[in-house]
Amino acid sequence: MTLRVEPHFLAALEKVKTWARINSPWLVHFNSGSCNGCDIEILATLTPRYDLERFGIKLQGSPRHADVLVCTGPVTRLARERLLRTYEQMPNPKFVVAVGSCGTSGGVFHGCYNIVGSIDEVLPVNVFIPGCPPRPEAIIYGVVQLLESLKPK
Amino acid sequence: MDTTARLARAEEILKPHDFLSAHPAPDRLDVTLLPGVLEAAVRALIADRWGYLVAITGVDRPGIAALVNDEKQWSRLVAEEETSSTSADHEGSIELLYTFCSGAAIVTLRTSVRYSYPVIHTICEIIPAATLYERELIEMFGVKIVGTPSTEKLLLPDDWPDGVYPLRKSFKGFTSNQPTGEN
Amino acid sequence: MEALPKSNKFIVPIGPQHPALKEPGHFEFTVDGEVVVGATIRLGYVHRGIEKGTEDRNWIQNIYLLERICGICSHTHSTAYVEGVEKLAKVTIPPRAQVIRTLYLELERIHSHLLWLGVAAHEGGFDTLFMYSWRDRETVMDILEALSGNRVNYSVNSLGGVKFDVDQKQSDQIRRGMDYLEERSHYYMKVVTTDQTFLGRTRHVGLMTLEQAIHLDATGPTARASGLAKDVRVDAPYAAYPDFPVRIQLGDRCDLESRFVVRINELFETYRLIREMLDHLPTGELQTKVPRRIPEGEAMMRLEAPRGELFYYLKSNGSDKPERLKVRTPSLCNWASVINLAVGYNLADMPMILAGIDPCFSCNDRTVTVRRPGDSQTWSWDQLRRYGIEYYK
Repeated sequence: MTLRVEPHFLAALEKVKTWARINSPWLVHFNSGSCNGCDIEILATLTPRYDLERFGIKLQGSPRHADVLVCTGPVTRLARERLLRTYEQMPNPKFVVAVGSCGTSGGVFHGCYNIVGSIDEVLPVNVFIPGCPPRPEAIIYGVVQLLESLKPK
Repeated sequence: MDTTARLARAEEILKPHDFLSAHPAPDRLDVTLLPGVLEAAVRALIADRWGYLVAITGVDRPGIAALVNDEKQWSRLVAEEETSSTSADHEGSIELLYTFCSGAAIVTLRTSVRYSYPVIHTICEIIPAATLYERELIEMFGVKIVGTPSTEKLLLPDDWPDGVYPLRKSFKGFTSNQPTGEN
Repeated sequence: MEALPKSNKFIVPIGPQHPALKEPGHFEFTVDGEVVVGATIRLGYVHRGIEKGTEDRNWIQNIYLLERICGICSHTHSTAYVEGVEKLAKVTIPPRAQVIRTLYLELERIHSHLLWLGVAAHEGGFDTLFMYSWRDRETVMDILEALSGNRVNYSVNSLGGVKFDVDQKQSDQIRRGMDYLEERSHYYMKVVTTDQTFLGRTRHVGLMTLEQAIHLDATGPTARASGLAKDVRVDAPYAAYPDFPVRIQLGDRCDLESRFVVRINELFETYRLIREMLDHLPTGELQTKVPRRIPEGEAMMRLEAPRGELFYYLKSNGSDKPERLKVRTPSLCNWASVINLAVGYNLADMPMILAGIDPCFSCNDRTVTVRRPGDSQTWSWDQLRRYGIEYYK
């Protein structure tokens, strides 16, 4: 038995899904070998001064519930496979935000033997947030830019 | 006890084992030993409760010969471990620095092993915490440590190629994910 | 928690559950019922090859590399390195620069301890304390930003001195910040020593006797909480500590609660030190010249990072790049102690015990494999944390 759904209903459903995705994205964070500078700034976005959650953005634990993967670090060899696996566990549509200079190009660690380099070498990245580390405001701005780009034109 | 007194005490404890001792700085004592007596020297320091182990450092020295190994003494200990090494290779050695501290005094036991016979005895029976440092030496320099409780990789990934030791000078990094260093 | 086929060890690093705790790493706990009977550790997810990297960068470039070993104790690493180079070059930096360096070291200690307080509270399910302490931490972040231009990785050290001065306005801001934080720290001390729910998670948990602390080479506040009087600022004063002596803070209960108390006491001591340094800040230059090629030699540096003793070995061959640089971080030796400590405690206590040593994550990491006789399961850190919270309800 196949379910026949009217096209205009499908379109409306898409609009609702997009609205939910933009207005309340669920993030999962992954550290692929960073010095923790970016991670503590990401964590700082949850704290009372920046309070990411009031924007509807939730930083939670499981990749299976996440819309956006926020990734830091220059991707060490060991972390590479795990990063890929985390990404694969996320349901579609999914987006990747690379936080920090390390995620953009390997940062100061460029050339070191145990790193792959930019997160771009491993996953398709939607937004790069440069900085070493980027301020919490910059991280919020980066995520908001991603959400803006999802808005229907 | 002030620093000078602490250093003097350490020197006294290590006298029976040392090869050469030096004071490179007012708060430091360097005692050079043969690899075979390292364990006994560590045991003596710890038995006296002189201080605590701070780090085990490996330093790669291509082209510099090691101290003469007393192979008769070693062959008894490492009969099973000894790999068949061909010619005695004096083209390089790895210096091992065991740094102990007490208050402001720093005592370093220095020994060295040559590339073709990079064998040393563990100190984990005396200092259990040393296992982490020894694992690092094994994977980074290719030193063989007899009797160490764990030889699992500590820092390097599981798929790291065998025989490639990143902290040796001969390792120049990877090109297109293939190792190019030889030891 | 997925049950896995018997005798099948499944090792998967878990996508981090909690931002700061996310570095994949590997703990294995062997469990009998609820009690942990064995633990092992495997690191490596944050191994970037920095020691090798220093050999390819010149003395100045290395400052920027080494600062980023750890974002939380970045200035401590940077200071250890530049002091080592200055020792090799036989250069003495001006007194004002020395005190400013130490000022940053102490400010970093504040931010690190407050960060830890929040994170450890979060491990115990106490999110309110986490939010409070991180909000208060913003005071110190603002100060650091006003002084250096960045909240993390301040890059204030240069070879031969410091780059930024401290003027009167900044000095006033620091004093106001210290007053505020001191008041807040009294509150934290009260919470940590009197809140019954919290005490249930920390009192008599993770006991490490003085003998064990000595035998396991524990360092930092973890060791001091067991009564072991080891503090490099007191034993072998460096930077400006000879002129501004530190009073060592010891604990007597040897448990987790003691580790909290010791760190908060260290905060009070730090507030006092900072005020004293500002009162007696010497006038003068900020930098001296250091040659581009550093003379041959070896230097050993020991510093008291917020987590314990940091050790640097630096060898120069007379060129413009180091011959060898070795870093021994405090968390590495504390891991050995915690592995031994974990045995005999409930699995539910593990998150708190592990958090109690204040691991510097970029030196070490964590995911957990729980092994019971016959099977093993992989838990995420968050699962373990929630398990602990549920167990104690």
